[in-house]
Amino acid sequence: MTWKLFSLLLEASLMTLLVSSISILVGLGIAIVLSGMRMSGNRALFAITGVFISFFRGVPLLVQLLLIYNLLPVLGLTLPSLATAIIGLSLCTAAYQAENLRGGFEGVPKGLVESAEMAGFSPVQTFIHIRTPIALRMTFPALVNEAILILKSSSLVSAIGLIELTKMAQNLAASTYMPLPIFASAGVIYLAINLVVAWLGRRAENALPGLPTK
Amino acid sequence: MSFDFAVILAQGPKILSGIVVTILIWVGGNVAAAVLGFLIATLRRFGGRGVDVLLQVPIEVIRGTPFLVQIFLLYFGGPYIGLRLDPITAGFIGISVYGAAYYAEIFRAGYRSVPVGHVEAAECVGFSRNQIIRFVLLPEMALLVLPPSINMAIILLKETALLSLITVPEMTMTVSAIGSQQYAFVEALVVLALVYWALVEVANWLGRIAERKLSKLSA
Amino acid sequence: MRKHFLAALAGAAVTLGSTVVAQADALDDVMEAGVLRVGTETAFAPFDFIDAGTHTGLNTDVFAAIGEEMGVEIEWITLDWTGVLPGLEAGRFDVVAGPATITKERAERYRFSSPIAEATVAILACADCDIEAPEDIAGKPIGSATGTAQLKQLQEFASTLDTPPTEINEYVSFNESYADIAAGRIEAVANSLPNIAFVAQQRPEVFKVVTPAFGTPTYFGYPGRIEPEFATLMDKIDEILLAMKEDGRMAELQEKWFGTTFDMPDYVTEPNI
Repeated sequence: MTWKLFSLLLEASLMTLLVSSISILVGLGIAIVLSGMRMSGNRALFAITGVFISFFRGVPLLVQLLLIYNLLPVLGLTLPSLATAIIGLSLCTAAYQAENLRGGFEGVPKGLVESAEMAGFSPVQTFIHIRTPIALRMTFPALVNEAILILKSSSLVSAIGLIELTKMAQNLAASTYMPLPIFASAGVIYLAINLVVAWLGRRAENALPGLPTK
Repeated sequence: MSFDFAVILAQGPKILSGIVVTILIWVGGNVAAAVLGFLIATLRRFGGRGVDVLLQVPIEVIRGTPFLVQIFLLYFGGPYIGLRLDPITAGFIGISVYGAAYYAEIFRAGYRSVPVGHVEAAECVGFSRNQIIRFVLLPEMALLVLPPSINMAIILLKETALLSLITVPEMTMTVSAIGSQQYAFVEALVVLALVYWALVEVANWLGRIAERKLSKLSA
Repeated sequence: MRKHFLAALAGAAVTLGSTVVAQADALDDVMEAGVLRVGTETAFAPFDFIDAGTHTGLNTDVFAAIGEEMGVEIEWITLDWTGVLPGLEAGRFDVVAGPATITKERAERYRFSSPIAEATVAILACADCDIEAPEDIAGKPIGSATGTAQLKQLQEFASTLDTPPTEINEYVSFNESYADIAAGRIEAVANSLPNIAFVAQQRPEVFKVVTPAFGTPTYFGYPGRIEPEFATLMDKIDEILLAMKEDGRMAELQEKWFGTTFDMPDYVTEPNI
């Protein structure tokens, strides 16, 4: 294991960080919209979100990515690998994040919602300004956990053409025929990234305002 | 592009054997992971501060690295330190250890959720530690740990797909091999998606039943 | 309702559009775009691999020459091998670099280029193992990559032995099978000569090539689409490859990447397997 090989792994981990961080944020946005749809009281919207969440949690990410990658061109839409990877990862994490958020939305104190409505907020305004911030605050640790899971799952986007950390490790293993030190190094880099994310998560959590009590 | 599922489904017995291998490793590995995770959490709860801190290290390492890397190192690296496992055993151990790190955290949160007063009260009436765990802690945390446990079981099911890397003949391996032999790539993916989805829904359904029973018991 | 109808119509137009493009001539499309999209994997040394961070190998040299002759850019799309042929069929790229062994079955599905290397199968064994001839795999655990032409030939060869190998393990790719030789679980792997020669050259302390090759002579070619609208593109690629064989450039590249040259037919019309 030379420094040259290690620095190639480090370089490739930037792609891992890029794809995961964009997907986490886009996924969070989708998850909030899904939660809104689920709480809208509209039966059709409720059913759609149910199927969406069930599908993206139920099907392995690798299978999802390959389906998106190979089916979209048949429908006439050929997106580059990076876009496909971000779409796939975002949709998948959105389903998990929507599940995480559900607990948070259920925990929003009823009194707060009622007083917002009395103050003349529309249901949509209440959702955006009252429910969502509180639900996000309550489920923040779950968000950090999900970020770590996505960082690790992002290794699967190599199957559709992105060279991120795991793919680089596989490539280097396939040209040096010394897979063990290379995979071990990749593991160390993943661990370092995830420890930093977990640490930042704890710091952020302490910095966030406290929760309203029931 | 036309789809032909017949060429895949014609290989029914092979697919079925893949599904059986997946289910066996998943169920076995998941149960072992939960038991191991519970033991670790219990050691951390009652073993004193030293044990607590010491056990945190492997948990962080396992949760911080991808399963793919772990299974690769276990299977191909193990023989260098005299640990030569056959694929199924390595897969089972890999899933159990990976899952145990997460279950340990789930149960730790469970232990924390039980008010100290309840444990103290049980101690006062002369309960032994085992009795406290069995009659106070476990029942009180059950409802809390159930949803994340179901979630974990689902995650573990999907991780079993990576065991093809170490030649475990589970269903991702068997179905995609059929797909490439028959040039029915997309069809194979669709079949895989449906089977995994069905297994996940079964796990969810069992989880909901357990949740309902538990909430009746504790009500 | 109207909105839905319009959306459906737009969707249909998109689908129609792609069909029309597919009907057109692939060579014209490539020339017009100025880009030839080539799909490949990067874990198949010495054809395609990452050396010190750069995508390199015989394929990059050959396609650089093809791009130059055609006056187009080469756009590489690198996937896991399992995704490469599906990607070709899904229209993700125009041709596959791979390469793949030319077999009867595959030739019905894909249009292969003129062969670019020999693919005949031989044995790679652990350096200190007691395997000196292909027949020595009798009674020993061996392996190959699942779903490959190489595995098929290994199985056929094994069935001719008096004592069969104790196990024939199937791996998701050849790289895991090499790792399992190093781990000591198996003693030999069957794969094409150019590949295993490179493996043994990289790590002679772990691997050795067992000669002679046991398989029937086979060749590597670049798979492309078999549909008529791709014929002109594949003809063009063949024309360039044949010119490279004629003027010695191909021999030079084979010497560079394999340390040897191969005698190859211009076309493989009747694959041996």
